[in-house]
Amino acid sequence: MKTLLTLSVNGRPREDAVAGNALLIDYLRDTLGLTGTKQGCDGGECGACTVLVDGEPRLACCTLAHSVAERSIETIEGLSHEGNLSRLQRAFHEHLGSQCGFCTPGMVMAAEALLRRNPQPSRDEIREALAGNLCRCTGYVKIIESVEAAACGSEVPA
Amino acid sequence: MAALSEFRVLRPASAVDAVRLRGEHPASRFIAGGTDLVPNLRRGLVSTDIVIDLGNVGEMREVQRSGDTLRLGAGVTLATLAADPTVRASLPALAQAALCVAGPTHRTAATLGGNLCLETRCQYFNQSESWRQGNNYCMKLAGDTCRVAPKSSRCYAAFSGDVAPALLALGAEVELLGPQGIRRLPLAELYVDDGMRWLALGADELLFAVTVPLVAGRVSGYEKLRMRGAIDFPLAGVAAALTRDGEAIGELRIACTGVSSRPEFVGGLDALAGQPLDAAAFATIERQIKRTIQPMETTTVSVPYRRRATPVLAKRLVGRLWDEAKRR
Amino acid sequence: MNAPDRELRKFGAANAAPHGVGARLPLIDGVEKVTGTARYTADLPAQGALVGKILRSPYAHAELLEVDVSEALKLPGVRGIVTGNDCDTPYGVIPIAQNEFPLARGRIRYIGEPVAAVAAIDEATTDAALALIRLKVRELPAYFDAADARKADAVLLHDNNKGNIEREVHNEFGDAAAGFAAADLIREDTFECAEIHHAMMEPNAALAAWDNERGHLTLWSVTQVPYYVHESLARCMKTDAAYIRVIKPFVGGGFGHRVETLNFEIIAGLLARAARGTVRLLQTREEAFLTHRGRPQTHVRMKLGLTRDGRMTACEAHVVQRGGAYGGYGLVTILYAGALLNGLYDLPAVKYDGYRVYTNTPPCGAMRGHGTVNIRFAFESLLDMMAAELGLDAFGVRRRNLLKAPTETINGLKVMSYGLPECLDWVEQASGWRERVARLEADSDGPIRRGIGIACSHFVSGSAKPVHFTGQPHATIALRVDFDAGITILTGASDIGQGSSTIITQVVAEILGVEYRRLRLIATDSALTPKDNGSYSSRVTFMVGNAAADAARNLKAVLVAAAAKRLQVAEADVEWLGEAAAVANDPARQIPFHDIVEEALVDVGMLTVKGTFTCPPEFQGGKQRGGAVGSTMGFSYAAQAVEVSVDTELGKVTVEKVWSAIDCGFAINPMSVEGQVQGAIWMGMGQAISEETVYENGRHKAVSLLDYRVPTIIESPDIAVHIVESLDPNGPFGAKEASEGPLAGVMSAIAAAIEDATGTRIRATPFTPDRVFDALNRKPPAGAHVAAAAKGAA
Repeated sequence: MKTLLTLSVNGRPREDAVAGNALLIDYLRDTLGLTGTKQGCDGGECGACTVLVDGEPRLACCTLAHSVAERSIETIEGLSHEGNLSRLQRAFHEHLGSQCGFCTPGMVMAAEALLRRNPQPSRDEIREALAGNLCRCTGYVKIIESVEAAACGSEVPA
Repeated sequence: MAALSEFRVLRPASAVDAVRLRGEHPASRFIAGGTDLVPNLRRGLVSTDIVIDLGNVGEMREVQRSGDTLRLGAGVTLATLAADPTVRASLPALAQAALCVAGPTHRTAATLGGNLCLETRCQYFNQSESWRQGNNYCMKLAGDTCRVAPKSSRCYAAFSGDVAPALLALGAEVELLGPQGIRRLPLAELYVDDGMRWLALGADELLFAVTVPLVAGRVSGYEKLRMRGAIDFPLAGVAAALTRDGEAIGELRIACTGVSSRPEFVGGLDALAGQPLDAAAFATIERQIKRTIQPMETTTVSVPYRRRATPVLAKRLVGRLWDEAKRR
Repeated sequence: MNAPDRELRKFGAANAAPHGVGARLPLIDGVEKVTGTARYTADLPAQGALVGKILRSPYAHAELLEVDVSEALKLPGVRGIVTGNDCDTPYGVIPIAQNEFPLARGRIRYIGEPVAAVAAIDEATTDAALALIRLKVRELPAYFDAADARKADAVLLHDNNKGNIEREVHNEFGDAAAGFAAADLIREDTFECAEIHHAMMEPNAALAAWDNERGHLTLWSVTQVPYYVHESLARCMKTDAAYIRVIKPFVGGGFGHRVETLNFEIIAGLLARAARGTVRLLQTREEAFLTHRGRPQTHVRMKLGLTRDGRMTACEAHVVQRGGAYGGYGLVTILYAGALLNGLYDLPAVKYDGYRVYTNTPPCGAMRGHGTVNIRFAFESLLDMMAAELGLDAFGVRRRNLLKAPTETINGLKVMSYGLPECLDWVEQASGWRERVARLEADSDGPIRRGIGIACSHFVSGSAKPVHFTGQPHATIALRVDFDAGITILTGASDIGQGSSTIITQVVAEILGVEYRRLRLIATDSALTPKDNGSYSSRVTFMVGNAAADAARNLKAVLVAAAAKRLQVAEADVEWLGEAAAVANDPARQIPFHDIVEEALVDVGMLTVKGTFTCPPEFQGGKQRGGAVGSTMGFSYAAQAVEVSVDTELGKVTVEKVWSAIDCGFAINPMSVEGQVQGAIWMGMGQAISEETVYENGRHKAVSLLDYRVPTIIESPDIAVHIVESLDPNGPFGAKEASEGPLAGVMSAIAAAIEDATGTRIRATPFTPDRVFDALNRKPPAGAHVAAAAKGAA
C-alpha cells in the first residue's frame, strides 16, 4: 500500500506516493530515476548504495524509504554545484580514484561525509571512513590518494 | 532474491506507543537502523505485516549519566556510542566493540538495541530462499534439522553481536518496556542459548535502554577475531573488564561472542581475585573460556581454529588491560 | 609514484595540457562515473519492461525429465516462459568445445544451472511464477572434487569425455630428463590453490528488447565481449546476426567473468522474443557466484632442477584443474598453465602434464592472469625454497636465469622486449632488500613477526592466435569526420573500467595532434562500431592501440592531402600543425582545421577512415605441437616485493607494503598503468589471504560479499608502482599490457614473506588465519622434506 512520503532529495522538496516496503535505494532509482546510487550486493555488504541522510552516510539498500521521511537525502547526483564537479568528484576523476566507476558514487558519498566532519583526515581516518565500501578495481590506493587530494584542495599534480 | 514481502510502516512517536502497536499487531517487527532486519527481510528470513519504525522515538536516543551509572537509550546509534566521551573514557570495551561492528556506514544507522537483539547467524540460515529451499531448509526457519548439528533438537545459530559481550563484562542491565511498564534485568538474563529463541524478550516487550555501572579504576577492552578489518561478523569476540590491586587482580570479568547462540559470560574467574596475573591465572582463563564456548560450523571458518584462537584473544586482551591498569 | 619523466608534446594551444601518449590523463569517461550519470545496464531506462528472472537447479547432477511450466503460464501477468526446449543449440566460447545450453536440456550438471526463466509484469508475479514451475528429475551421482570425478566408475558429465577429463595436455619442450640429470639439486613439491571468483562490483544484468514487427533484438549487457555475445545470440536464437544489435553500456568491472557469452544473456534474448517485448533481467550477487567462470581449484605437483649456482635446468609440472560443469574457456586455461611456464625465465626444458576435469560445480573460466597465476605460485615458491637450500639470494637466483630479448623460448614464444632485469633492480632497491634483516627484526613485536618476499611474473598482450579464426584483422578502428570537423572514434573495444577508451583516444590524439576536445569516442554498439574480439587476455592496448594508430595515420594522410590541395602545394610541403596545416617554411600560409576538413569532404562527403591490426603469422606460435599456445606479440614483465606481518598466535597475515615494478613497454597513460598494477597486485593479495569459493555437496556457501571475502580498504596496503619502459618493437609506441602480469607473482611473494617472518612455508592458498594457524602449530613430520627427491631419485 502506498502512502505519501515527504522528504528532501538533493535540496529539492519532494512528495511521492511510496509503498511501505519500498527501500530508499528503490525509491531513488525507480521513482526518481537517480540511478547513480548502485546496488552491488544482496543487502548491506558492499557500500555501493551509500547516500547521505542529514549529512550522515547511510546504506540506501538497508533503509526503508518511509524511515527517512522529513529528512534530507543527498545522492551523488546532488554533489556537483552549478555544473562544476565537487572537490571529491574532481579528485576521484583526476587521480583515478574511479576505474569501472561502480563503487564510485558510494565511495564518494562516504568520503563526503568524512570531509564534512573532518576536513583534514589522516590516511588511517580515510581508511576507517571507507571501510564499509568495497572496490574491486583500484586496490584502494588511488581512492585514498583522491580523498587526500580533495582534502588538500590540490589539483592534478603536474 | 525475491521482492520484499508486502508490509506497512508505522512510525510511533513514543516508546509507549510503539509497545502498544506491537501488542495490537502480533505480526509486526520493530525496526531501528535496519542493518540487520532489512537484509534479512530481503532474503526472506523474516516476514511481517507491519514494521514499527522506532526512528521517531527520541527518548530512546538519550545518553544520561546519573552518579555512577550511565543510561543508554536502545536507539543510540553505534557511531554515537563509539564517539561518546563518557563511553570512551570509562567504558572503552563498549566503545571498541561498537567500533568493531560492520562498517562506518552501518554504524551511523545501527543501534545499540539492534546489536543486542541481533538475529543469530549461521551459514545455513543467512542465505537466499532458493538456496535454503535447495538445502531443504534448516530448523531455524521452515525446516526441522539443524544443519550444524543434525541430531540435535535445538538450533545452534551463533549470536554474533559485538556489543553484548562488552556490556556483559561491564555488568550492564537492560530495561524492557512492556504494556505493564518497565522491567529491569541483568543483561545476561536477556539471552538464552538457543539459536531460534535467543532473546528472553516478551512478545510485546521492547528493549528500551541499557544501564552500565561506572566503576572507578576499572579498565576494559574488546578484541574481535575476523578475517577482514571491517564488515565481517565476529568469528569470535572477547570483552574483558579488570581492576588491579597493585600486583594482584582485583576483579576480572570476561565475556565472549560468536561462540554459541548467546553472548557468554565466562564464569569461574572469581577465584582469581587477589591472585597475581601469572601463568596459572592465564591457564585458568584459558580453561574457563574453553569450558564456556561452543563454536559450531556456523561459519565457513574452521571450528577448531575458533576454539583455539578465542582464549588466545582473551589472554592477550587481559595482558593488555593489566598493563593499562598499572598505568592508571 | 614513479611514472617516467619525459617531455610530452603539447598540441593545439601552446598552454594546453599534454594529452597524447605518455600523459597522465583522467579517464575520458570519468566525469560520468564520478557524477553518477554513467548508465550501467541496470540503470538504463526501461519503463514498461517486463521483469525477468531465472529458475536455477537445486540439483548438482540429474537427468532432467520434465520442466512443467503449465501452472506458471496460467498465472495472470506472466508474459513469457522459456526452458531448455527453447534452445537446442549449445554455446561456448571455444568453437570446438561448445557443450553448454543457456537453459539445461536433458541433464543438470551443477547447483545453480538455469532450467527455466520467466518474464512477467512485475517482480512479485515473476517470483510467483517461478515458484509454480515443477522439475521432474532423476538424480545422478555428483562429483565435487577432480579426484572423485576421475574415478573409473564415475558417471560421465559429458559423453566422450572419458574419466570426466575435458582436456589432457602432455608436452615436453627441450629435454627434461637431460635437464634433471644436469641439476645439482632437484626438488618436487605440491601446491594447492582454492577456487576464486571475480566479484566485480556490478552484478550481472541484461536488457533485451524484442521488436516483434521487425523481428529485431537489441540486447544491452554487462559483457566484455559483445561480439561473442552477438554471435552466440544469433546461433542460439537461430536468427540472422543482422537482426540483432548488441550494446555494451558502462560496465562495472569484469576481470574475466564476462569474457565469454553468459547464459543469462542468451536467456534474456529468448525471453524477450517469447514475451514479445522488453525484458529486464537483473541478477543477484548470489547469481554471479553461480554463473562463476572464475579461477579453478588447482593442484600442482612440480619438480625443478637447479645447478649449484642457481641455473634452472628443467621443470616438470603436473597440473589438475577442477573445471566445473562445462567447457567454457577451460581448455585454454589448462593449455596456458603449461605454456606460460615459459617466457619469464630462460628455462631449457619443460615437461607438462595437465588435466582439466569436469565436476558438478559452476563452470570455471578465465580470470585475470588467465592460466598462469596458480602455476606461477607453485614455480616461484619452489624456486625460493630451493634457492634457500642452496644458500642463494631470491634476487640472485632469478637474475641467474634471465632471458635476453629478442629471443624465442623452447616452445616457440617470441620475446621481443624484456624489462625484467630493471624491474628486479628497482624492487630490490626500493624495498630495502639488502637491509631487510635488521629492519624487519626491529619492526617485529612479540608474536607479531615481519617478513618480506619477492616474486616475478608475466603475461601476454593478447593472444596472437585469435579464438575464432575469421581471417579478419585482430582489431579494427574507424574514425569518422563530417561537416562539423569533430573526430569520432568508433571502436568495438569494451571499456570495462580498465580505461581502454582513454588509451585509444590518447593514441589518436598523439598522431593527429588535434585538441582533445575535438575527439569523441563511441564504443561497443554493433550497429555503429566495428567488430572487436573483446577485452580479454590484455589484448586491447596492444592490438586495438595499434589499430587506432593505423587509423589515425590513415586519416592524417587524407587530411594532409586535402590541406595540400587547399594550400596548392605538394603533400610533402605541408607542415601538419594538428589544429591547422601550413606550408613548410612559410607559417603565414596556414589554414585552420575546419578548412582542411571542408576540403577533404568535397566530392566524397563524410569521411570514415579505418585502421586495422593483425598479428603477423610468425608471432602465432611455433609449428611444434602446443607451440601456438601462449603466443603473443609482447609479454609484460613484473617483479614485486611484499612485506607482511604475521600474528603468530592467531595466524593472521597482514600485507603491510608492496613494491611493484612493471615492464609495460611504454606507458601510454602512466596513471592508468599504476591503477592497473595496483588493482592486479591487490587482487592477487585477495586470492592469497582471504578469497575462496566454498562448496558443500556442490552448493556454494559463500555466495555473498560477506562470506566471499574481498579485502576491504582496512587490510589493503600501500602499493608503490614503478614503470619500466622496454619499448616493445611492435606495441603501439612500444606499449604492452600492464594489468594482468603483476598479479601472478603476489601469492608466492606473500608466501615467501610469511616464511621469512615465521620460518614456515605455506603451500596452499588462501593463507587464511585458520590455515596459517594450523601450519604454524603443525609439528613437522619426521624427515620434513619427504617430498623432496635427492638428485637422480625421481
